[in-house]
Amino acid sequence: MTTSSSLDNQTQIQGMNKGLCLCKVCRKINLTSNGSCTRCHAPLATRNYASIGQSWALLITAVILLVLANIYPITLITNRGVVTNDTIFSGTVHLVKTGMIPIAIIVFTASVLVPWLKIIGLAIYLTAISFNLPVSKKKLMVGFHIIEWIGRWSMLDLFVISITVALVNMGQLLDAKPAPAATAFALVILLTQLAAKVLDTRLLWDRLEPQNDAK
Amino acid sequence: MAHTDQHQCHVLCRSCDLVVQKRALPSPVRALCPRCGTALYDTPYCSINGMLALCIAALIMFFPANLLPVLEIHFLGSIRNTTAFQAAIAVGDQGYWVVGVAVAISAVIAPLLLLSSILAQVCIAKFALHLELGKKTLRMLLKQQGLLSQLTMLEIYVLSFLVSAFQLSDFADVHMGMGTFCFTMLFLLLLFLQREYNLEHMWGLLDDN
Repeated sequence: MTTSSSLDNQTQIQGMNKGLCLCKVCRKINLTSNGSCTRCHAPLATRNYASIGQSWALLITAVILLVLANIYPITLITNRGVVTNDTIFSGTVHLVKTGMIPIAIIVFTASVLVPWLKIIGLAIYLTAISFNLPVSKKKLMVGFHIIEWIGRWSMLDLFVISITVALVNMGQLLDAKPAPAATAFALVILLTQLAAKVLDTRLLWDRLEPQNDAK
Repeated sequence: MAHTDQHQCHVLCRSCDLVVQKRALPSPVRALCPRCGTALYDTPYCSINGMLALCIAALIMFFPANLLPVLEIHFLGSIRNTTAFQAAIAVGDQGYWVVGVAVAISAVIAPLLLLSSILAQVCIAKFALHLELGKKTLRMLLKQQGLLSQLTMLEIYVLSFLVSAFQLSDFADVHMGMGTFCFTMLFLLLLFLQREYNLEHMWGLLDDN
């Protein structure tokens, strides 16, 4: 509630300090004292402090599953009686070998690059909040928006698997089946999306604030 | 009194909780948070009739897009084809129901729910905004809107059947047909519909009355 004379402080007032709070459902400004949103009747909360813990938990589970998703085969292809297990990585390598470079780039981005980048990015983000690391908050926020946006593109891999499995199904001659990594990969997508959604990003801006303008 | 005034001329950033003074904007401009760069607001404009047209067109397209095969392969004389939903069932049948459910929701169920929800919202906005039931339903639908649009992944699905077509052309002849066309059209219609749709504006309808 302190009204500082410095320009920096005046331009950077948090809604929380003014007794205002944004409804997280319909994004209407409300008085925190109202208790629930006047427009959509959802309960109001200035900050969700539990969200860091929840986000960490989801992220760690996702890391374990992502390792499994990369170790185990994701598809099982039978071609003229010969059975080959393809992992995510070997599938991409196979595409490069057959000369389909543009497709290989798309698949590599969706199934290798995006999930790993997302997990590393979220881990950096959460570490910065949890341990008050001196990192540029603005850059972290840009990274976070990118993570939120590209996360869904990993679904590409699962769509391709489902189409292939449905089409290629001719016994010993040619057959495609999903393999254990497919479930793990689906869960990685779900968990990382949830981890990003659950996290209350306003906490980042709170935690590093007191350092900057301590009395 | 002072508080109610602040309500009108300020916005809060949803990502960093900064208080930002609200200014009038010309129509194609979007206000970004000066501190963290999150999009804050733009001039909420959406044409209800335009949305209605796009929504009906998309719903009409939805059925051929999901009933006709999106991809067809010819392999040693046998022809196999699949729709988006059958593909999800096929993975589920193999025991990978997590994958099957994910595919079914993001490619078929969520788009249908999203379209029906927008259609209902537009109809309420046009005809039933003065009724208490209409407002209640609109409020309920708007609360689910964010989740539904996040679950809808038609753009990724369209790319994925192109990728599968290239991958499979190694083994077999791949054909695209009417279903592929309809699915792509469905994706385009939904894309334009979502550009036209403005959640802030829809919530605003509840404010005024």
